[in-house]
Amino acid sequence: MTLFLAICVTVVLSVSVYLILGRELKEVAMGLFLLGHAAHLSILMMSGTPVLMQEQGGAIIKGGPVLGVSSHMVDPLPQALILTAIVISFAVMAFLLTLLVVMHRRADRLDVNDLASEGRPQLLTEL
Amino acid sequence: MHESEFTLILLAVLAPVIAGVATLILPRRATSGRTILALAGPALSVYLLGSVVTQYGVNEPAVTVAAVEDHEAGHASSSNEEHGVVDTPGTLYDDLTLGSNAGSDYAAPSPAYQDSPDSGVVGIPFMESLHLDLTFNADPLGLFFAFLIAGVGCLIVLYSRGYFGKDADSLFRFYPMLGLFATAMLGLVLADNMIAMLIFWEMTSISSFLLIGWERSNPKAVRLAVQALLVTGMGGIALLGGVLLLGVGVGEWGFSAVLSAFATGDLARPELVPWAFLLMFLGGATKSAQWPFHFWLPGAMAAPTPVSAYLHSATMVKAGIYLFARMYPGLYLLESIIPWGEILIAFGAITMALGALLAIRSAELKKIFAYTTVSQLGLFTCMYGLGSVTYVHDGHAAANIIWPITQILNHALYKAPLFIIAGAIIHTVGKKELHQLKGLLRSHPLLAIICLAGCYAMAAAPFTLSFTAKEAFLYQIFHATETMPWVNVVAVLAALTAIFNMAIFIRFLMTFLATPEVETRIEHDAQGEAHAHDHGDHAHEHERGFWGACLWLPAFLLVAAQYVGGVAPAWFGELVLPFETAPLYWSALPGFFEMKMGAPLITSIIGAVLGILLGLSPFLRSPLEDPHNKLFPAVYSSVQRDGGRIFSMLQPGNFRVYVYLVLSAFVLALGGSIMLDSGLWSFPEAVRIPQGVTGLLMAVSFFSFLVCASALAMPFVRSRIVRVLVLGGVGFSVTGLYLLYQAPDLALTQLMFEIISVILFLLVLRMLPEEPKRWHRIDRVRRGFFAALVGCTVGWVVLQVAGQADLSPDGGALGEWFGAQSYSDTLGEADGRGGGGNNVVNVILVDFRGYDTFGEITVLAIALMGVFALITAAPAKAVKRVVKYDDIPREAYYVPEGAQPGLTTSLFRTSMRVILPLSLIFAGYVFFKGHNEPGGGFIAGLVAATALAVYRMAEGPRALKSLVPIKPGPMAAIGLGIALLTAVVPLVLPGEHRGAFLQSYNGYIPLLGEDPYHWASATFFDIGVLLVVVAVSLGIVNRLTEEME
Repeated sequence: MTLFLAICVTVVLSVSVYLILGRELKEVAMGLFLLGHAAHLSILMMSGTPVLMQEQGGAIIKGGPVLGVSSHMVDPLPQALILTAIVISFAVMAFLLTLLVVMHRRADRLDVNDLASEGRPQLLTEL
Repeated sequence: MHESEFTLILLAVLAPVIAGVATLILPRRATSGRTILALAGPALSVYLLGSVVTQYGVNEPAVTVAAVEDHEAGHASSSNEEHGVVDTPGTLYDDLTLGSNAGSDYAAPSPAYQDSPDSGVVGIPFMESLHLDLTFNADPLGLFFAFLIAGVGCLIVLYSRGYFGKDADSLFRFYPMLGLFATAMLGLVLADNMIAMLIFWEMTSISSFLLIGWERSNPKAVRLAVQALLVTGMGGIALLGGVLLLGVGVGEWGFSAVLSAFATGDLARPELVPWAFLLMFLGGATKSAQWPFHFWLPGAMAAPTPVSAYLHSATMVKAGIYLFARMYPGLYLLESIIPWGEILIAFGAITMALGALLAIRSAELKKIFAYTTVSQLGLFTCMYGLGSVTYVHDGHAAANIIWPITQILNHALYKAPLFIIAGAIIHTVGKKELHQLKGLLRSHPLLAIICLAGCYAMAAAPFTLSFTAKEAFLYQIFHATETMPWVNVVAVLAALTAIFNMAIFIRFLMTFLATPEVETRIEHDAQGEAHAHDHGDHAHEHERGFWGACLWLPAFLLVAAQYVGGVAPAWFGELVLPFETAPLYWSALPGFFEMKMGAPLITSIIGAVLGILLGLSPFLRSPLEDPHNKLFPAVYSSVQRDGGRIFSMLQPGNFRVYVYLVLSAFVLALGGSIMLDSGLWSFPEAVRIPQGVTGLLMAVSFFSFLVCASALAMPFVRSRIVRVLVLGGVGFSVTGLYLLYQAPDLALTQLMFEIISVILFLLVLRMLPEEPKRWHRIDRVRRGFFAALVGCTVGWVVLQVAGQADLSPDGGALGEWFGAQSYSDTLGEADGRGGGGNNVVNVILVDFRGYDTFGEITVLAIALMGVFALITAAPAKAVKRVVKYDDIPREAYYVPEGAQPGLTTSLFRTSMRVILPLSLIFAGYVFFKGHNEPGGGFIAGLVAATALAVYRMAEGPRALKSLVPIKPGPMAAIGLGIALLTAVVPLVLPGEHRGAFLQSYNGYIPLLGEDPYHWASATFFDIGVLLVVVAVSLGIVNRLTEEME
């Protein structure tokens, strides 16, 4: 099961990097959006699987992170971390989208290469 | 630990800055009151330090230099035999010591350090795990420097008043900076914790920077200030590295503890110690202007003269010397493994001779004194170096250092007055260069005499304290030559320095005695009487009375001490003795008549005679520009030019280049570590597919497939609307995975998040232009390849890490702990530890990691502000619709004002009217159940916000406003306020209930029914979270939608 998640992380991350490297800011925004999913899934992997191997050979599925529901519980900490991360990625996404709008209004274009030729960083001035 | 001692020392350290800043309160014109208030700071420091000494005494140093250690015994006896000097010290020098065989008294193998628990270090712990404690140690070395700093500080405050005259604006600016410096310097010398010392050290660099660049409009002064800051700042960084390495290497973070550890040889990681000392040497050498870093000190003369007198001769530049002195007792013991002494001697001796040479070739008064300061600092470095190379005495290895503190004091007692008087001469006469001052003795006898008295002391002539100090240094050298013939080179350099110093005195004398040149006098008469000249750093008029006398009085007092020390050395020695760290060999200070004939005295005499001859001769008269002055500008411009080249290579301004660079480095680092560790080459155990849960397995593989498939479809989809939907598809599939991984909270949150973000994406995309031309194929292949590389590397690492996951039955060690703590079982009795909830995830969020959550909702609020600010800063351009709305005419059916045409169908609106209340009720349910079952503030907030946002699209802003009357901004503020209040309340609760920041309480409220209602204070915190989430989501959606309309 961990393997499935690892594949998901690999694929989602690859696509996300591919989009981030794109020439259009809209693509970049989508790529960053996907990056969040990849990060969340990799944190989720750290809690292992929800399956508990029994000594006598069988396996049982652990309960959710609520006390008294099941005799065994999955690790609640990664879940708390991801929950925080999701809400933060919401804020980031909203900010990014606003940036897109503003960028479009200011520069009238959303092409990374075109934008780069304008806003080149300047060196400190000589003393 | 004496708490009151700590308080006294802390007050003594802080007094100057408090007084300095307090002067800002006074009206600008109140120059006298300002001076008196500023004077109160260092004066109070002197008084407080004095009461520390009288009440608690002077702490014994952790390691005394005097001790002859058996550590060195082997080395000592072997070198003894080699050089055959066993008897020499006795015959040559014992008659020179005034006490009865004082050498062997001090040099007896006595215990090297006091290992008593009461080491005299006082302080308060601050962050013990990081070794950051504010500790002070009132030992002789620290107290000596502290008295010097505070004492000279008092005089400098007075002198500043004389120097700046009634220039109220300058004094207004000057005193706070001076106070800051004095505090930094006092802290530096009294701090025992090395990191605290370092912080004070940096503070002195900064105040020096501010004072050198005093004339802010003068580009040269600013450049020199930057030069001083960068040189000493680099040294500060080296010192930081040194201190950290030393702390780790020794395992102690206080100077006294470190030195004790040296004495016992009990080091945590001895191999680090030499590196630590190398770095610390760099720090000290830059601060104390050792060659090749000495050039900043003459440059620092751009500062007003009070600063030169105080910072750049008497105190700050001695910080490096202080550091060497501080470490010296321990280094002396470590000499066999670190050639510390040799390093110090080499750099010190070069600096000493070079400084003296440059001094005699300088024309400006302040430059001359600056270079002699450099020379003298080199001498001190050399002195501690000589002390570290142990000298063989009566068959023992003995410390080879004589009255070092007195030598340092001696320098302050003639160099500070020289600077003061140089400032006074420049101020009164208006001339900066020596050759312009002919006949000064006749025109300004008082200034000339004080100046000559200072120069006489600088030449180390008889009847000054300087003379004794120089003899002490020469003795040291000749002690050392006995076992190490190469020290003779140092002797020659020292003799050269003495010659130069004497020659400088002679030149001053001859210049002041000479008849003034005619043109100079005319020029002087023309402007001198008018008192209207201006010499750069301030405008002023001359004064009479006490304040006018302040221009020379401090110099007079200091220089007088020189002669007291020279005439009555024994009495003066008694005065200094409590602070003297190594009164070896001489139990009292010898005066001129008590000197016995010997190599040192002969050297002095030869030096003096040659010096007088050189002074009268025409040699070495032309000014010489120090070639090192080109060093810094060259390095600086190279850094700018070549740095600029690299900068523009790495920072082309194209976002994609950055991404490529960062990710390449990332992949290289990760991939490299995988390559290096063969343990990471195989699949981890955890990947094993579990038996007996086929259903779960199938479901996980199904959702994983969905995630991968929809993600992979992204690059191939052309229509952007479909693209956003596919993007949503990834998210919804991830939601499924969360469910299967037993994370209902996550699933719910993700679901809401996905809905709201798909809506936002669609809204925004409609505002943006259509896609431009597609990429050509090569680029797509390259991108794809690179992306796959990144993905695979990270995927593999994540797999490996997951293989290491703690798979114990109850969710890993941390999970188990949280599980056990999240619900305190004691009914009705809040023990203050548990969060009082069954839903561990929620308890973690609002209780255990509440700080985190608090920070997070703050970030949310900031994002909201950012969105508002960005949108407002770039208002929509006049009607430029990029995207055509649907062709259906607006009038075709009823559309509420402000609502989205095209979105608003009757079906949509009608269904929203039903869905909205249901959603809100659900949000409330999720919220209140949250602490014990899946749910909580975040989720409830997102549910409510999603519902409201969709409702707004259907019914328009007015409908929403009537439903939620409060604006998003204030709502977020209220939410944050509630969260903060919940966090703070435990701090102010009375008595036993008082708790920490964000402490939670829970208990049971008896209700009429069977079960008492369980409440937790974290609920209020959660309300805050809920409000912020609703406000932020709604605010952003609102804002973006408004923009479209």
